[in-house]
Amino acid sequence: MSYRAISENLMALGARSALLAALVIVFSTFALTAPSFLTTGNLQSLLVNNFTLLAVVAVAMTFAVASGGIDLSVGAAIDFASFAFVSLVLAGNPVWLALFAGLGAGALVGLFNALLISGVGLSPFLATLGTLFVGRSIQQLLTNGGNPIYLPQSGIPESFRALGHSTIVGIPLSLLAALALAAVAAFLLGQTRFGRVVIASGVQPDVVRYSGLPLRLYLGGAYILVGLTAAFAGLILTSTVTVYIPNSGNAFLLNAIGAAFIGTTIHPHGRPNVFGTILGVLLLAIVSNGLLLSGLNFYWQQVGTGVLIFLVLALSFATRKTQRG
Amino acid sequence: MSVDAQNYAFVKRRRPKPSAKGRTRLAAAALRYCALLTFLAILVIFSTSAPFFLSIFNIGNILGQTAVTGVLAIGLTVVVIAGGPNVVTGGIDLSLAANMGLSAAVYASLLQMGYGDGSAALSALGTGLIIGAVNALAVAQIGIVPLLATLAVMNVVAGLELVLTENTVIPASSDLLTGLSSGALFGIPSLGYVLIGFSLVMGLIIQNTRFGLRLYAVGEFPEAARAAGIPVKAYVSASFLISGFCGGIAGILNTAYLSGSSTGSGEMLLPVVVTALLGSVFSRRLVPTIGGTLLSALFVGVLLNGFQLLNLSSTLVSGVQGVLILLTVSATTLIRRES
Repeated sequence: MSYRAISENLMALGARSALLAALVIVFSTFALTAPSFLTTGNLQSLLVNNFTLLAVVAVAMTFAVASGGIDLSVGAAIDFASFAFVSLVLAGNPVWLALFAGLGAGALVGLFNALLISGVGLSPFLATLGTLFVGRSIQQLLTNGGNPIYLPQSGIPESFRALGHSTIVGIPLSLLAALALAAVAAFLLGQTRFGRVVIASGVQPDVVRYSGLPLRLYLGGAYILVGLTAAFAGLILTSTVTVYIPNSGNAFLLNAIGAAFIGTTIHPHGRPNVFGTILGVLLLAIVSNGLLLSGLNFYWQQVGTGVLIFLVLALSFATRKTQRG
Repeated sequence: MSVDAQNYAFVKRRRPKPSAKGRTRLAAAALRYCALLTFLAILVIFSTSAPFFLSIFNIGNILGQTAVTGVLAIGLTVVVIAGGPNVVTGGIDLSLAANMGLSAAVYASLLQMGYGDGSAALSALGTGLIIGAVNALAVAQIGIVPLLATLAVMNVVAGLELVLTENTVIPASSDLLTGLSSGALFGIPSLGYVLIGFSLVMGLIIQNTRFGLRLYAVGEFPEAARAAGIPVKAYVSASFLISGFCGGIAGILNTAYLSGSSTGSGEMLLPVVVTALLGSVFSRRLVPTIGGTLLSALFVGVLLNGFQLLNLSSTLVSGVQGVLILLTVSATTLIRRES
């Protein structure tokens, strides 16, 4: 191997390992500087409070990003799932029915996007932006201008509370659900024919079309999956906090986009992948948890998070570019 | 060496094939101008249902309210022109609203600390330019996707604004601010004139100079532009510097409009993105233009104002906005597919 080949390989390795390096550095920095960081209690709180929900939303976002688009309306899917779930439980329906209704509501939001993107042919950014606005208004109409819907302390089925607060061998059910969901998504996107076509649609849509594959059907499917997956986040959120707050799902949007794109840096060709997304979420979760422990001024924490993400991206993209050219 | 202006114009002016039937052509023309027609229809509806709507005072009101969004959306339009229309991989600047917030905070804090109008305003503009320079460095030099680079910068800038203001409103008053917010000619606030004047200047630069033409070339055919010898990176950098500068200007305008720096500037991001992206449906060739963005900013401003006058529930506003976006953009996409 020539010197050039070796250096190129090293660069490629650098680009791919920027995220892993950042994870290790951030983790060990907090472990060394914040004494309470490495305690079991804190690590569990990190995973439950900072990781679980964002992981589900970011995995949902990965489907959209993999298909070459983006979904700005994940918040609407989260909220509508949460709304349907809470309403049905309040009306005295069994929890399993409410769960399915929630998933259905999320999938409906996805279907709406799919119709706009695949049917009308809108750009995903504009279509989902429209959905976001319309969804916001519908929620305000449904709730008399944005009043939260609380579930009473008593009178609701015990199985409901179990969803948000029970543990299996000490691991919270919600975390397990998120990990299982990520595993299914990784399989779907990485190992199935459907996933391969979706990823191909993101990289070379024309090639997919010329191959005689129904491109629009696959794109539409991807957006329905985004809504369905995001609905899980709404269900987990609601069963934990036992309240539906209108338009609260949007808070995850920017971090989910960030995680999905940070995740692309570990792929040799820079493609979206579920494993990378999960690592991206882990990085964001560790940073927000660690900075909270560090006792740094809350506002400086936001600056710190931003700078760190910027550095990871810069390192990864800079090395990737050198490698290419 | 340079892009042949005439050839480029030829490529851009593709028109739909003239159809045999006159009726379909009429329909196509109606669709082509559907955004403008929608705007006109809404103007007619509001002026007949709310008599106050057409008064000079109210028109001035709309212009003043639109100034901040308009200037920001024009900055974003420049980035979209130079980066191409694909929002995920192309040009976008998510840091603009946060930029406006930080610039306003810098301006208001310096005034409060006793600095003069001139140095405070220059610092605000400088703040905007520095943010633009960081974006330019990240996108053009390091090669980070604009969506991601500006997302990270947005977080940093929003954090810095919070550090500076501790999430409080900083009141500010100065001669410049009073001059901007008070009424000028015909009872229209100076803010409105600033918006019109700024749009004219930017429109002249982007739509009528070699620089502007090359900016379009860089955005739509980067490979061809590079082959023709245009320094693509420099043009992309310039677009981010311009949008950063717009953020600084908007910061001063917003301080004038609200008599101080305000919190929650991040809320402006989506409306600004909507305005800038909707702008291209107001242009004849369906590409982002400064004039189109100005029209779309006024369109959104008129909608919000009209709803207030009609006492329409505020909960409906974002819904109607969303439906309108979807309708106009769908119609435009359908025409584009026809042609």
